[in-house]
Amino acid sequence: MKKKILAAILSTAMVATLLTGCGGSADATADTSAADTETETAEADTAAETETAEETEAEASGEVTYEECTLTFDWWGGDSRHEATQAAVDAFMTKYPGITVEVNFGAWTDWETAKAAEYLSGNNPDVQQTNFDWIGKYDADGETYLDLNTVSDVLDLTQYDQSTLDTAMDSKGGLAGIPVSITGRTFYWNQATFEQAGLSVPTTLDELLAAGPVFQEKLGDNYYPLVVGEYDRAILMAFYLQAQTGEPVINESGNFTLTEDQVKEGLAWIQSLEEAHVIPTIAYIDGEGADSMDKSARFINGEYAGIFEWDSSPAKYLSALGENSGDLVVGNEIIDGVFKKVSLMFSISATTEHPKEAALLLNYLLNDEEGAAIMSTERGIPESKSAYAVLEAAGAIGAMEAEAHAAVMDADPMYWNPLFDDSSLKGDTAVYTTVFEQFSYGQDASGAAYTIDDAASDLYNAYIAVAPAE
Amino acid sequence: MSKTRKFLKANRGFVYVIPWLVGFLVFKMYPFFTSLYYSFTDYNLFKGMSTYTLQNYIDVFTVATEKNALITTFKYAFMTVPLKLVAALFIAYILNFKIKGVNFFRTAYYIPSILGGSVAIAVLWKALFNDTGLIQMAFSAIGLEAPHFMSDPKWALFMISLLRVWQFGSAMVIFLAALKGISEDLYEAAALDGAGKWRQFFTITVPLITPVIFYNLVTQLVQAFQEFNGPYIITKGGPLGSTTLMSLLVYNNAFGGTYNMGKASAQAWVLFVVLMIFTAIAFWSQKHWVYYSDEEGGK
Amino acid sequence: MAAATMTPEEARILAAKNKKIKRRNAVNLTLRYTVLILVGIVMVYPLIWMVGATFKDNSEIFTSINPIPKNITFTGYQDAVKSYGGNINIWKAMFNTYSYVIPEVILTVISSTLAAYGFARFKFIGRNVMFALMMAMLFLPQVVLNVPQYLLFNKFGWIGSQYYLPLIVPTAFATETYFVFMLVQFLRNVPHELEEAAEIDGCGSFQTLVRIVVPMIMPAIVSCALFKFMWASNDFMGPLLYVNTPAKYPATIFVKLSMDSDSGFNWNRVLATSLISIMPNILVFFLAQNQFVDGVSAGGVKG
Repeated sequence: MKKKILAAILSTAMVATLLTGCGGSADATADTSAADTETETAEADTAAETETAEETEAEASGEVTYEECTLTFDWWGGDSRHEATQAAVDAFMTKYPGITVEVNFGAWTDWETAKAAEYLSGNNPDVQQTNFDWIGKYDADGETYLDLNTVSDVLDLTQYDQSTLDTAMDSKGGLAGIPVSITGRTFYWNQATFEQAGLSVPTTLDELLAAGPVFQEKLGDNYYPLVVGEYDRAILMAFYLQAQTGEPVINESGNFTLTEDQVKEGLAWIQSLEEAHVIPTIAYIDGEGADSMDKSARFINGEYAGIFEWDSSPAKYLSALGENSGDLVVGNEIIDGVFKKVSLMFSISATTEHPKEAALLLNYLLNDEEGAAIMSTERGIPESKSAYAVLEAAGAIGAMEAEAHAAVMDADPMYWNPLFDDSSLKGDTAVYTTVFEQFSYGQDASGAAYTIDDAASDLYNAYIAVAPAE
Repeated sequence: MSKTRKFLKANRGFVYVIPWLVGFLVFKMYPFFTSLYYSFTDYNLFKGMSTYTLQNYIDVFTVATEKNALITTFKYAFMTVPLKLVAALFIAYILNFKIKGVNFFRTAYYIPSILGGSVAIAVLWKALFNDTGLIQMAFSAIGLEAPHFMSDPKWALFMISLLRVWQFGSAMVIFLAALKGISEDLYEAAALDGAGKWRQFFTITVPLITPVIFYNLVTQLVQAFQEFNGPYIITKGGPLGSTTLMSLLVYNNAFGGTYNMGKASAQAWVLFVVLMIFTAIAFWSQKHWVYYSDEEGGK
Repeated sequence: MAAATMTPEEARILAAKNKKIKRRNAVNLTLRYTVLILVGIVMVYPLIWMVGATFKDNSEIFTSINPIPKNITFTGYQDAVKSYGGNINIWKAMFNTYSYVIPEVILTVISSTLAAYGFARFKFIGRNVMFALMMAMLFLPQVVLNVPQYLLFNKFGWIGSQYYLPLIVPTAFATETYFVFMLVQFLRNVPHELEEAAEIDGCGSFQTLVRIVVPMIMPAIVSCALFKFMWASNDFMGPLLYVNTPAKYPATIFVKLSMDSDSGFNWNRVLATSLISIMPNILVFFLAQNQFVDGVSAGGVKG
């Protein structure tokens, strides 16, 4: 009897598979035939107009010629970014009938692994959201991403500051990607917790340092004014040291500017924060097993009263706090020596068969009034002047994002060299993680003691391996 | 019968293994030797290959993190395999008495094994063992403090091991089936001779199911040495690398951002060779303690 | 030797002995049930808690060990069945999963049976070498093969195939060594007599396989199919590397996607999504658990 039921289920499932298979292909045919009818007119035009295209398009009048084609486009992110981007893609397809955009999106975890495999095989999509350090990683020869200067007739680069574009230069001098937004780190405080401790949110480093013991005494051992993980510590330490030396830890010529003693000094400062109960130990943070602070119950219930985050990411923390989101306020940069960096980019594959149409899509997403409005601030405050104007006029720039962005920019941020995020330094098993973890635990993987000298030497050597000392 | 026909008839079994042979050559041998080749190079997926080297192999035994992963893998295997086999055999033994509701218990014990490999269970494990999780709550309900499973290097591996031991059901079902095959008469005869339950267990039960013990031992060993999902999803190999098993180390080097295929291949090969040694020992020891009813083994 | 008649003293001792045995049996029985129930609780409590947690909100999940929710909320399930931008939802993801799992199971069973039959029942040139090689593959960590395999499938143009070719095709070639090993082990304990008789009757070896061997090892084949079904539907790395379009994502990837979505962390939704995604596995297990156990007994020590 049971055997029969099983067999029945299996066969039903198989029939279902077959049926849907047919349904799928029927759809595809419908699409193509619809496309075919349009092609006739479009194709006739294209041939004639290709040569004159450049003149007309520069007007940005919307009268652009293009070929009918299918573009592939992918990005990573969270729910809200997926929704906004898909909506923008749909609107693009409505505006430019004949161009079909096949999208692919997912969460950041494991995303890069799949993309790396694609780069290897040359299967990367026509248009892609890319990470800033991917230029060095996957475009070392300058052959992976299209030089966007070659499509500047369609893609309006004048919406960007030249200095911003310069940061996305590849080894051959081509423009490997368009920086969507510039971001920097600042502090966000849970005002309610500070009030509970009888304090106002810190506006100077000294106030923050003083808050640690007060928290411990008034609220208990499990309350901390700030929480910072391993990578956060690396950035915080860089800020602290940059404030002292007045120059970027890795300068524009790719040299590491600190001595081992200075690194040690920075580590000692981080340690002093732990000792003063300003930040919890890594062991305490790990104990909860939260991948990031927006998934931490201790952050959500206010035990961690401060985070050190990108100006573009308050949305997820606000949504994590739910009805208490009003408690979170943007702090000012209480440490000098701030840096800013490109958050992420959009790139076009060098192997795309439709560079012009791909550029058209990018221009729509980044600069077009309609497209930019739909894309909103899902990837930070847009660098594109036209997009910024549209969003500002519509009041679509979240007060908190704007405030945080202003906090970063007001602090006169320094140059940031992408080598800072080299894969040997940043990553789950890379140096920042191991050094700051072992340093906080006071022991290494084998259980032997791990001192500040060990940490300073490991960190220093890792830095000069990617960015030689001057 | 001609010589050729005779030859063909004598070797007709070969036809049945042709599909396997094709798959073996294309999907196993080719990648296998390719990775062996990589293991002696500095091959990086994106930077290419510049030199031949033995450094990858030297590193496995000298670099702290790599050596540590090898040791951790041993610890993990020697913690989970015996625990799992003992638990499986013990419970199967109890279930084999005339117990009411055998099917109910068997089902309850077996379910974790079906679900254990899923992403879902790894998430559940995290929810259970973190400092605010179910286990900690249960401990504090009786006024105790549970170990910090997620952050204490001494306990993290234990937590990961528990996830595997928790899945002892599959081995148990196999034991139970084998126990059912042992004739009641043997036990009755032993009981008449005055053998207690424990003696019966060691003098009758265990010897008769040695093939099944061997089967379970080998399969569990193989699985333990290749465990990946648990540490990858629950702890990412931390804290302090205390749950970084070899397979996770290989993954980290190959796909974790540095794409160091040469290094990863060498680590994978060390893992493979170690596993082969243990399995060889198990197979070699077979003749001393495993009894097959069909001694020819179908040869 | 005991006399035919017992003294009253002896009778009393015997009665006491019987009583003792009875009591000991009762104690043993109680002990066994206690152990079974206690271990059973440890085994299933996390799962029951998980089911309960799908109906709780975050704050209750981390403050109560009671699996029964105080304030039942269905938002977990409502969110779990929500589409991701219309492209993929849990139902579609599960459909995707089974559209490659079922072919994988069928092909694995056929190819593994053929290979096991060849290895277990025939002598041929190179048999022992090949068998040893096959066994060695059992111990080869998959992670060693991943990158060369990826490059190979790329050469074939299979990456991102909407028919899941990199996942399905290898199963047609008995690449799941574990099942070949398992079937060979079973075959060792199945007597040859019937096959010999069939051969004398003029059956070819393939007919013998289909008519005699397959029915005899059917329970083992069913258990292989079940194992393959469970493993293939839990597979994570394979789809991650070879499936690139969201509309084609299987349930495992979808669960991960919904888990990593960065708008806070609604455990009830994540757990509900997970639970829905593993329901077919649970269902198949309940329907087929007897066949599974039968399969294992066939390979037990009898024979």
